Amino acid sequence: MIEVAVFFLHGLAYAGLLFLVSSGLTLVFGMMNVLNFAHAAFYMLGAYFAYSMLQMTGSFWLCLAISPIMLLLLGAVVERLLLRKVHVLGHVHELLLTFGLAYIIQEAVKWIWGTNPQAMTVTGFLADTIKVFGITYPVYRLFVFGVSVILGLFMALVLFKTRIGIIVRAAVDDSSMVSALGINVPFVFMGVFAVGAALSGLAGVTAGPLLSVFPGMAGAILVDAFVVIVVGGMGSLGGAVLASFIIGELQSFGVLLFPKFSLALIYMLMALVLILKPEGLFGEKQ
Amino acid sequence: MINYRRQFLVRYGMPLLFLLMLGLPFILSRFHLRLMTEAIIYSLYAVSYNLLLGYAGLLSFGHAMFFGVGAFFTAITIKHTAGMPFLGVVALATLFTTLVGLTVGVLLLRVKGTPFALLTLAFNALFFAVGTKWHSLTGGDDGLSLAPPPIDLGFMMVNTTQGVNIYYITLLLVGLAIAFCWYFTKTAMGQSVLLMRENEERMRFLGYNTNVTRLILFTFTGAMAGLAGSFYALFNAFVSLDAVSLDMTTKVLLMTFIGGAGNFAGPVLGSFFYTYVQDFLSDLTDNWPLIMGLLFIGMVLFAPGGLSGLIRDMADKFTRRTNKEE
Repeated sequence: MIEVAVFFLHGLAYAGLLFLVSSGLTLVFGMMNVLNFAHAAFYMLGAYFAYSMLQMTGSFWLCLAISPIMLLLLGAVVERLLLRKVHVLGHVHELLLTFGLAYIIQEAVKWIWGTNPQAMTVTGFLADTIKVFGITYPVYRLFVFGVSVILGLFMALVLFKTRIGIIVRAAVDDSSMVSALGINVPFVFMGVFAVGAALSGLAGVTAGPLLSVFPGMAGAILVDAFVVIVVGGMGSLGGAVLASFIIGELQSFGVLLFPKFSLALIYMLMALVLILKPEGLFGEKQ
Repeated sequence: MINYRRQFLVRYGMPLLFLLMLGLPFILSRFHLRLMTEAIIYSLYAVSYNLLLGYAGLLSFGHAMFFGVGAFFTAITIKHTAGMPFLGVVALATLFTTLVGLTVGVLLLRVKGTPFALLTLAFNALFFAVGTKWHSLTGGDDGLSLAPPPIDLGFMMVNTTQGVNIYYITLLLVGLAIAFCWYFTKTAMGQSVLLMRENEERMRFLGYNTNVTRLILFTFTGAMAGLAGSFYALFNAFVSLDAVSLDMTTKVLLMTFIGGAGNFAGPVLGSFFYTYVQDFLSDLTDNWPLIMGLLFIGMVLFAPGGLSGLIRDMADKFTRRTNKEE
């Protein structure tokens, strides 16, 4: 019983991380119709920025605040200087661009920080353990889940309850109408992409102490995040929440129940969704 | 005018190139002959990829799964069967990849556009994961080494481990496969692929089943990539998980796009360029992938036609005076 509870909590922590990564991915896809293949690379960059900052300052909270801002700026620059340029050439070029960007970031990270995994250690109460359901459990894993819950609520609030959310959603549906109303639509898109990048940065910082920081971390999360947005429905925030939870727990209990096939489980889930409901659980029909 | 020139190129340029390449073993060192063989194999891989990307407008991030399946099937067949002939192995590997392509295609082609691109990547990751985990079959991280069987010509045995021999065999057979891909683009089937890219709705209106067209094309390109993979295994006498990795997919993307996805010769040019530039750069720096990536981004941003597009633009500039009315 205790074992089940532990694995459930492990699953929650991973689900939280998955949501942190896939929320930005699905936001950018839902709002701009661009699948950002460099998203996981941004996430890795966020983790490495945090790692270097932690070395210099020693404060994890500072990393948590600054690293997403750095990624926000990077995202804005990428959108303004690169992505917008190839937008006229069509979808294939946008995907190719982000794919190439991911490749470059990957290589640059290896060049700058080396290929060895680096540990990120947190201090203070985050490094402690806490008693939940009668078991001692590391606070940091619960913290990851907590961050994802707060972020999810915040995103839902901004998107569905504020003026900014209305403008962004309207810009997706009918950009020429929104621009006729005097709103700078290209700026809105730049903002969305930048926020998406910032979210990946946040995910990266959070993942650092959990998984340690290494050049393969982008590839390790990319496929899982893709499966999340396929299963949840591309562009759907609610779908990302549900799918993150399912896949996080599936991964965790998969290791417990079928250690040999745990890797295949999420692919089987994805194949199942593709056969039964190609648009995903919460997705709109194409 | 341009069509005229291209016809001229195909009719005389290609056979001439083939003859030239027949003479290469007399000039090149053993090392450069190996590079040349590798570039020919990659050419088929990239040409098959371009049929998807350039001709059908289908962006796939999973082409390495077919390349890898072809390579591993070849290695495993040779390991477990004694006395299987060279061509038999290649044919079986291609057939098997065809079946894999058909199965994967049925699943993947349920979606289009961006979700398709994403799913091809996920399937590539699945194939890689299976390769890693199924240690008893694929050798896992250690890979598999194999002994390429000799070819029995009836009157003599051709040793396929020798550099010159494998070069000629590759030039002939892989060259034939590339020519077949070219022929494919000229058939009614190949032309309907172009039509599908330009106006799918209209094509359906005319009574074509575009889903079947797409599936046939996807399967065909998979088979050709599998053939390339099979030769890759035989040429190296070794297969590692690299063959089915995302890096191998990235490689074909870079080669196709640097060479130019818009026309048939582009990927061939790209493969040769990539192979030789990689060889050149890796002597200078360990960070050659970074340079290759920057080149790729540069092409996407400034020269969407790739190297072949640049060459064509230049050729047009020089001949502009003669065909002003165009």
